[in-house]
Amino acid sequence: MLAMIRKEFRELRRDRRTMAMLIALPIVLLVVFGYAANFNVSSIRTNVYGDQADAVASLLQSPFDSETVDPSGTTTDAEDALRDNEADVAIVANPGQQPVAYVDGSELFVAQTAVGALTAANAKIDAAAGTPDTSGSAQTSGIEVEVLYNPDLETSWVMVPALVGLILAFIGTIITSLGLVRERQEGTLEQLAVMPFRPSDVIAGKITPYFVVASLDMIVVTVLGIVLFGVPFNGNVAVFALGAVIFLLVVLGIGVLISTMSQNQGQAIQMALMLLLPQILLSGMIFPLSSMPWGVRWIGYLLPLTYFISISQGIMLRAAPLSSLWPSFVILGVMAVAVFGAAILRFRRDLAPSVSRDEHATSETPDDDPPPEPATPFAAGR
Amino acid sequence: MITPGPQHTSVVARVQSVTRRFGDHVAVDRVSLQLRRGQIVGLLGSNGAGKTTFIRMLLGLLRPSSGVVSLFGDPPSRNTRTRLGYVPQGLGLYGDLTVAENVEFIAAAFGVEVPVLPHQLDLVKDRLVADIGLGRQRELAFTAAIAHDPELLVLDEPTSGADPLTRARLWDTVHEQAERGVAVLVTTHYMQEAQQCDRLSIMASGRIVAEGTYRSIVGHTTAVGVQSEHWADAFNALSSAGLAVTLDGRRVRVAGTTPDEIRSTLEAAGVSAEISVGPATLDEIMTMVGTT
Repeated sequence: MLAMIRKEFRELRRDRRTMAMLIALPIVLLVVFGYAANFNVSSIRTNVYGDQADAVASLLQSPFDSETVDPSGTTTDAEDALRDNEADVAIVANPGQQPVAYVDGSELFVAQTAVGALTAANAKIDAAAGTPDTSGSAQTSGIEVEVLYNPDLETSWVMVPALVGLILAFIGTIITSLGLVRERQEGTLEQLAVMPFRPSDVIAGKITPYFVVASLDMIVVTVLGIVLFGVPFNGNVAVFALGAVIFLLVVLGIGVLISTMSQNQGQAIQMALMLLLPQILLSGMIFPLSSMPWGVRWIGYLLPLTYFISISQGIMLRAAPLSSLWPSFVILGVMAVAVFGAAILRFRRDLAPSVSRDEHATSETPDDDPPPEPATPFAAGR
Repeated sequence: MITPGPQHTSVVARVQSVTRRFGDHVAVDRVSLQLRRGQIVGLLGSNGAGKTTFIRMLLGLLRPSSGVVSLFGDPPSRNTRTRLGYVPQGLGLYGDLTVAENVEFIAAAFGVEVPVLPHQLDLVKDRLVADIGLGRQRELAFTAAIAHDPELLVLDEPTSGADPLTRARLWDTVHEQAERGVAVLVTTHYMQEAQQCDRLSIMASGRIVAEGTYRSIVGHTTAVGVQSEHWADAFNALSSAGLAVTLDGRRVRVAGTTPDEIRSTLEAAGVSAEISVGPATLDEIMTMVGTT
């Protein structure tokens, strides 16, 4: 047994990737996720509309940060601001009417914090006015609170649109990352390289079946999420499909890129998991991005799932139009081009190295070229 | 052996002084080679001699550190790939596709009609390639490699592991291709197969150490056989003298030397032995040229 342990240690010492995973990764995970794992919302983007907007805005305290104060704004403006994710809370305050705070329920933790803070504020107002609120509802004599897009603040309503992306990221990245690596391991990649394919042909040919299957997966998972959990689908299906297609291209492209960087399937899965793990915790799916310190929040902004969640929650829950979601579409599009470009470049470098014309001194090989030198004689003896 | 005919005057591939380094290691060192239409060139060498690295550069799969590779008058490219057929050592077949599906894929990749399968393969056309024998797999790799009528056929140990009958059938195919005007580069370990090549190039430590026809390389070379009770001592003494020593069981053999030299070396080492002389084998020749 000692011999076995010694052999394992020796192999482990020479397997740098596994060593990195065993030693460096736990430290990185602890530091990054320790800072990221924060449910406390310290800042809530708040817009204030109506004739009394200035007065209400001046009364707002932490965690509410007034972003837009528009005395000419209406309820429609407030709803649009939430739908387009320009604010988490929009308050409409007009003379003679009870102020209404609209809260975006698709941002679960932000909404819970906002409702809690508004309820507490109302309780203070009621206490000061001598009319304590005993109903337990969010509606008091202070500010009326109305949660839009997820009125009961159901966790599943927020999680299902995000899970659709996460599931596809897992399936798409891992399966695709194994595709080219399997060809490399079985020796068929070299055969492909001597066929008249462009590197982009091979990559497109490899991912198309995965793309089709993953698209079907996407439909099944989304429909099941709606049926099983009662999640609404309020937005435009075509816009959702467009976002899903671009997101799928990114995750499949990441899989191909991993494939070009791995020598075997074990390496590919290791690398895929190292890229997928941050997507669970840093994409805003579980912990709100706004609660993370900038030291780790920027990682979230590099992850494709962050933008897909923005699209899927926006369309399914808030019926957000393309005009408000376009930044996420553009970023995902840039990511798709970048990962496929990198994958093609790596594939070309590895398997079809170009030979420049300058290096190729002879452009013609004449048919009447003299035969090679006769046999190089070597002595029968030494 | 095919007698070189007039079609041999056309150069299909020309490699000029190519070198490939991997860090400090020189895998291929200033190797030059020409491949002509209708000619079968055997590339021989022990494992690690640089044969596969050389083939990868010839095919355009690996960029030379220096030197020039020219296929059909151009650098290796997507266009030149349409004109060559390649059977790699690992065969490059899809084990989870059937025989027919493999051929269909390769024919489609080259934009040609699906070739008619030889009888032996037609019998197993619906079976997964992983489930057929190695000999059939090699036949399939050959059939796929020539489906698009290539002008250059590169075969990396194409008959390794095949039974003698399959090997003979595969070499018939090689000859048919050469007669059709195809240039063939083949690596092999088998002496019988080397004899079927028009020319041989022997590689050792990344360099071409001998080239010519089989007859000019092997024909007159002899090997001295040493039979001794103290065969290990004899082996050590002759190796220490820098000779190309091989072992055939417990019989020590030394190619490219004279019985007198062997006798004097063994006497100096105090080893008594019976000495005999016979024709050298290809392996012995390769050891010898690799040692010199």
